[in-house]
Order: sequence, then C-alpha cells, then structure tokens
Amino acid sequence: MTQFNLEAQPINLTSLKQPSIHSLTQVQPHGVLLILEEASLTVLQASTNTTTLLQIAPDALVGKSIDEIFDSFQVDRFRAGLAEENLDFINPSRVWIRRNGDDYAVFDAVFHRNADGFLILELEPALTQENIPFLSFYHLAKASINQLEATSNLQDFCQIIVREVRKVTDFDRVMLYKFDNDGHGEVVAEEKVEEMEAYLGLHFPESDIPIPARKMFVSNWIRVIPNASAEPASLYPIHNPITQQPTNLTLSILRSPYVCHTEYLHNMGVSASLTISLMKDDKLWGLIACHHRTPKYVSYELRKACEFLGRVIFAEISTREETADYHYRMHLARVQSALIESMSEAGSFVDGLVQSDLNLLDLTDAKGAAVCFGGRWTTIGQTPSEEELNYLVQWLAKTVDDEVFYTNSLPLIYSDAERFKHVASGLLAIPISKRSYVLWFRPEVIQTVNWGGDPNHAYELRETGDRLCPRKSFELWKETVRLNSLPWKPVEVQATLELRKAIVNIVLRQAEELALLAQDLERSNAELKKFAYVASHDLQEPLNQVANYVQLLEMRYHDQLDQDATEFIDFAVEGVTLMQTLIDDVLIYSKVDLKGIEWQLVDSDTALNHALGSLRGRIAETNAQVTHDPMPHIVADGTQLMQLFQNLIANAIKFRSSEAPRIHVGVERQEEAWLFSVKDNGIGLDPKFSDRIFVIFQRLHTRDEYPGSGMGLAICKKIVECHRGRIWVESELDRGATFYFTIPVGGRDHSHAIGQKKNYLSH
Amino acid sequence: MRSDKRKTIFLIEDNRGDIRLIQEALKSTAIDCEVVVARDGVEAMNYLQQDQNLRPDLILLDLNLPKKDGREVLAEIKADPRIRHIPVVVLTTSRNEEDITKSYDLHVNCYIAKSRNLPQLFKIIRGIEEFWLETATLPL
Repeated sequence: MTQFNLEAQPINLTSLKQPSIHSLTQVQPHGVLLILEEASLTVLQASTNTTTLLQIAPDALVGKSIDEIFDSFQVDRFRAGLAEENLDFINPSRVWIRRNGDDYAVFDAVFHRNADGFLILELEPALTQENIPFLSFYHLAKASINQLEATSNLQDFCQIIVREVRKVTDFDRVMLYKFDNDGHGEVVAEEKVEEMEAYLGLHFPESDIPIPARKMFVSNWIRVIPNASAEPASLYPIHNPITQQPTNLTLSILRSPYVCHTEYLHNMGVSASLTISLMKDDKLWGLIACHHRTPKYVSYELRKACEFLGRVIFAEISTREETADYHYRMHLARVQSALIESMSEAGSFVDGLVQSDLNLLDLTDAKGAAVCFGGRWTTIGQTPSEEELNYLVQWLAKTVDDEVFYTNSLPLIYSDAERFKHVASGLLAIPISKRSYVLWFRPEVIQTVNWGGDPNHAYELRETGDRLCPRKSFELWKETVRLNSLPWKPVEVQATLELRKAIVNIVLRQAEELALLAQDLERSNAELKKFAYVASHDLQEPLNQVANYVQLLEMRYHDQLDQDATEFIDFAVEGVTLMQTLIDDVLIYSKVDLKGIEWQLVDSDTALNHALGSLRGRIAETNAQVTHDPMPHIVADGTQLMQLFQNLIANAIKFRSSEAPRIHVGVERQEEAWLFSVKDNGIGLDPKFSDRIFVIFQRLHTRDEYPGSGMGLAICKKIVECHRGRIWVESELDRGATFYFTIPVGGRDHSHAIGQKKNYLSH
Repeated sequence: MRSDKRKTIFLIEDNRGDIRLIQEALKSTAIDCEVVVARDGVEAMNYLQQDQNLRPDLILLDLNLPKKDGREVLAEIKADPRIRHIPVVVLTTSRNEEDITKSYDLHVNCYIAKSRNLPQLFKIIRGIEEFWLETATLPL
C-alpha cells in the first residue's frame, strides 16, 4: 500500500532527503486557488484553471482586488471574517461568481494564512444544494458515540469508526492505520467493498509514510484527492511576485499530491482518497484512510465532520488505549500469579514455569523461552539450540550484572546471534544466579509481521526521473530494521522482574529443604551402612556354627551315617555356604557408595593387573587368554575399578563356551568419558535380558549350572554409577558378550561427587 | 622343650558353640592341657588377676565380648606387668583391617581369623597349641 507515499525524490537514495512540501507549485484542477496580499486583498497568484472554472484567464486575475471578482456583499463578509482571529468562522463560505449572464458558479470558499503571512483562498465547487452534510455529521457523531459507548475493546472501537466513516462517506474502502513505536504501521481496522483486496492486519514500513508526509499530516488533519488522474493546474505566475519564491502551500486543500503518490493510487486501482490524521499528545498516532475506485468528491462539511470524528472520537481511543494497557497489565499480573502458584506446587520450579496452561511465553508475549537451571535447559516455543544457548549464557554472565537484561537487537551487540536472528533478535533475560537464567526470545521483526507488499516479489525498481519508488523504500526500510525484534514493553520487563523475585525465593526455600533432606539422607545412609555391616557380621556367626557342627557330625560319625544322612549333610553345608557368599556380597554391595569413593588419578593398567592377579587360578584352570588395549590414567577409585575389572573378567570366564575363553579389555577416549569394554567369546545372552542382569540377585541360570549370588553385575553397576558412568551389555546367545562401561573424564562433577555441600544458588 | 607341668590355656569366648569347638580341637592333639574358660571380659580379668600360681600359659581371646570388650581386655593384660608376658592370641571371625591393626598396636602376640572350613579351623587351633605350648620358649 503506497497511498501515503507522497514524496517525489531528488535522486539521492542514500540520504533519502525529502523535497520540502512548500516548494510544490501545482494544485488539483477541481478547484481554484488564489494567493492574496491580505491588506489589500489583491490577487498575487492564481491557479491556471480559472479560465475553465471562472471563465477568467489567470493573468486577468492577477493584480485585481477581490472586490472585482466577488460582489461586495460577499467581500464584506470576508473582511469581517478575516478580522477575527479564527478563520473557522468563515470557513467555509458558500460563494458565487457570475461567469456569464445568469451563469453563476457556486463554490465553498476556504481561507487560510500560510507561514509567510500570505492569505490563500481556495474555491471548491459546491456540488449539491442538499443539506446532507449536516445530517451526516449528526448521524455520524450520534451513531458512533452510541456504539462506541457500548464497546469496551479498542479493536471493536476502531472497527466501528471505519464502518461509520464508510457509511457516511461511501468510500469503497476505509481503514484505520496505527503507527507503532518504531514508526512502522499496521492496518487495525478495515471496511470495504468485497471486490477490493484486504489490507487488514498488514504492516507497512516506516518509509511508506516518510517524515515530511507525516509533518503534513500533523499540520493538515484532513487531505483529499478527488481524482488522482486529473491533470494538475499550475500557478500563474509560478513564483510569488513579492518573495520571488514558490508560495508555501503546506496547508492548502487543493495542493497537488506528488506524482509518485498518484501513480501508486493508480496502481492500486484507486482514483480518489481521503486521509484523516489521528493525533495523540501532538504526535501522529495513526490515520483514517479512505479509498475509492472512481473519482469522488467529498464536500467540505463532510470532511469537517470526519475531522471532527478524528479529533473528538480519537480522544476516546486514547482512553481505550490506556484501558487496553491497563488490561494488559492485569493480564500479565494474572499470568504472573498463575506462574508463581504452579512453581510452588510443582516438584521443580522449572516444571511449574513451562507446564501450566499459562506459561512463560504468556508473561512477555514472546515466541520462545528457555530456563537454564542446574546446568540443564528447559525450553518452550522457538529458541536457539542448546549449544547456542550455552554460549549465550556465558556471554550474559560476562556482560550483565543487573537483575534484568533486555534488547530488541541482540545481534547488534552479540554477533553470534545473527545465526539465530529468526528466533531471537529480541532477548529478555533474568539471571537467577551466575549460571541460571530465564530467557525470552522474539524473532526478527521482518519475520514476525505481515508486510504490505511481498518483499520477495517487489515492484520493479524504477528510477524514472528522480523518483524513489516505494518498493525500494521498503527494501531500505527492511535494511534498517534488520536484526531487530518488536520492542519489550516496560510492563513486560516489570513482570519478569517480579517473577525473578518469586523464583529466587522459591529456589532459596527449596535449597533449604534440600539441605535438610540431604542431612536426613546422610544420617539414614550412615545408619544403613552400619546396619549392613553389623547384620552381615552377626549373621555370619550363627551360620558358621551351623556349618561347623554339621561338618563336625560328618567328621566324627562318618562311619555310622548311611548314604542319605551324608547327602542331607551335604545339602545343609551347601545351603549355609551359599548364605555366607550372599552375605559377603551384600556387604560388598553396601560398601560401594558415592561417598566411599576416593577420587584420584589412577593407572587403570594397575587396576586391571591386580584384577588379573586375583583371577590367576581360574585363568590358568580354563586356559583363558586375556588381552587388553594400552590402559589410560583416569580419575576414579582404584580399588573399585579393580573390583569392576575382576567381576567382569570373572563373569567372562564363568560363562565360557566349549572353547577356551578369549577375553579382550578395550578402551577408547570419547569426548566426555572413557569407554571401556570387556569382550568375550562365551555363551552370550539373549538381548532381552540385557537390562535384567544388572538387577540385584537376578540370575539367568540355575546355581547348578553357574554358581554365584547374582550380585556381581549389580555391584559393577553400582560402582560405575558411583563414578557417574554408564554400564550396558551387547550380546547374542552363543555369540559372546561385550560389557561396556564409561568413566567420565576427570571424574565429572568432582566436587559434587565427594558430597561437598554447595549453596544451590552458586550453580 | 617339654615341661612336666600341665599347661593351662585360658579361653576367653562368649559363644558356647565356639568354646566347645575349640575344646574339641584341642582334645584331638597329643598335648595334655587344661582349658579354662571365661565367658566375658570382666570374668576374664578377675581370673587373670588372682593368685600367680594359677596363671595360664596361653590366652585365646575373642574380640567381641559382653561386658568388657576383647580389645579392652587385651589392653589391660598388656598394661599389667604381672601378666603381660603371657602370650595372647586373638582368635576371631573378624577380618577387619582395623581390628587387626588395633590388636597389634595393643601388643597382641598373634592375630588369627577363624576359618569357615571346619577341618581348616581344627588345623589352626592345633597349630596354635603346638606352636605356643611346644615350640615357643616362654618365660617362667
């Protein structure tokens, strides 16, 4: 939509300097414009169309007093009116000029004084004798005000205005256009005939209505172009005979629009237009723009009625806008309290922020949000990748000291953000601690908004003569708002600050609870350990007694026992022996725990060799071949590592196939961890059991086939997990098995692992 | 060296089953010795601090005892110049490193963990008897 682009342009695209409006010297041909010297009311300049409209040649008018043009009755009224401060009292005056005999031409006469003190008289043909304008005015005002009172919503309100304006003016299209903070505009309401293309919801770049045009809208609250294709009339003489300069026609009704403007009206299929400025606090808030497909004349009174609407009704819009702001604030307050409530109810406050019906996005009207807490990311909506987020947070930690940070042009201060400008040209961040943040994102504005005119299918860039074509201005504008998002409203920033307070409180409270819980846990853990030790020790004694005396029976009374008795004694001894093994293994299992780990740099080669040492007997017995990769130094508990190797290799030997066991211990460095593997050529196992075998006391075979407590792999799992690694098996029946486990490089989260107490907030 | 005097072994052990088992093991050797038993630490110290003529030639000490713990008994024996020369052998189910170190710190003469295997246990007890009553030279 280019209706507003009034500017003809000297060819200077880089600076985009606009020509001044007052240098324009042409008028629309449907009316007559006379420039007068006020004291004598002598005509200094006249539009060249006087011959047609008044049947007097312009050169015949110049130098004449208006007494010679109008009859004295009319001129007396002018003089009286001009003596008043406010020209509104005589504007408009219905005047007539005798053209020929009884042929009178009837005009609406409107006076104004320009900045240089010249009096300008504009005569518009009065087309109708009916008194419709006044009634229209009345109906417009009455109907509008009644309806406006009934609506509470700004959107509906704007809709009513355009509907009413269209009803009384009968334009093909009426729209209400609102300027945003950054200067671009949006069509917020529209009424039109069906056949015309809809502009509702479209945004237009700032350059579509350049600054001089805006200035004009500020000084001249109503603008009309009855016929965009009419050939303009010039002034005679072209320059003001007193100043030898073009006369300033800024406030003129008839002043001709720029060619570029009319050209675009033409391109849009628009022949007539009417524009009403909407002012708020002396600034241009928006426009009511009317389009008609055929030439259309709007009488002065009706235009005044519309202007009245612009002024009076718009006061109401301001109020509505404030109410809307208030409603938005209330809405944010509701979102805020909903978030705080669900945060305190959720197990983790992060869940509360993203899982409830009203979530983080609602608090700032953002398209994406991310929470970093305890080194973990939780995201909703459209956000940069986790990797990008990590870098962003590092940058924030270095850059931001305040309780809140926000920008609507992140890529301009953090160049990496250019990669994800389409989701995060705007950033609002609240630090919870140095490493914990809540972040909100807004996309680049070009991606956000429906722009009038497809930037990819732009107008052909014509620089015919010295004119800047609007599609080019769109490109230029796109360049200026590149890497920008819509701005964050102060009320949104305030809402996040309050959320921050709530989060900090909740985190502090949870940290306190966690500390207490950790204390309890520590206590009960210590008791459990003591219990496991005492229980296993005290269980062993009576068990030993049973074993001993059964064996004593057998030793001493061997000769007197029959075969059954001997067998029974064997079973008793077997049972007791198994019980003893189980108790020993439970004791070992209970001793493996996080706090027991002595983190140090150990040579895994030594651990492996110790393990092989203790398995020497079984290795020799089964002719097993154990090979291994060069073993690294790693941060771990040496004793536990040895036990791990020992259990896994013992398993590999135990579950051997008919061939001699061949076992290989492999290791490779991954990004964050060492990956160890123990591969054998044994009987393997069905993959469906690959999780079960790590569960305490789970066995896949009877004890007759393979003796053991079923604790070995559970102990392995616990050791690996205490090292914050992972253990798993890959195997198939009869195809051997490979056990894998990882040990994080550098004993990850070392300080945490040895149970140092940390303030939760220091993450 | 063979003394004519009948040797006395002082067994400090609360478990009746273990007492009997140790007695059975000692009976099965050629050495003729008397076994005196105390069932707790207090009883043990009372016996040891009586008439010098009744002092035993060897003390077998369990660590986990009622009333007075085996470690305390050991400490008291080794602190008393009248009886500290009597060899004390700790015979216990515990294989705990701490117990072992602590016992030697308290000047135990020997620390032996009970075997779970009966023939093995018998062998150990006979070994103790043979070594301390027959092989080793003890003060008069």
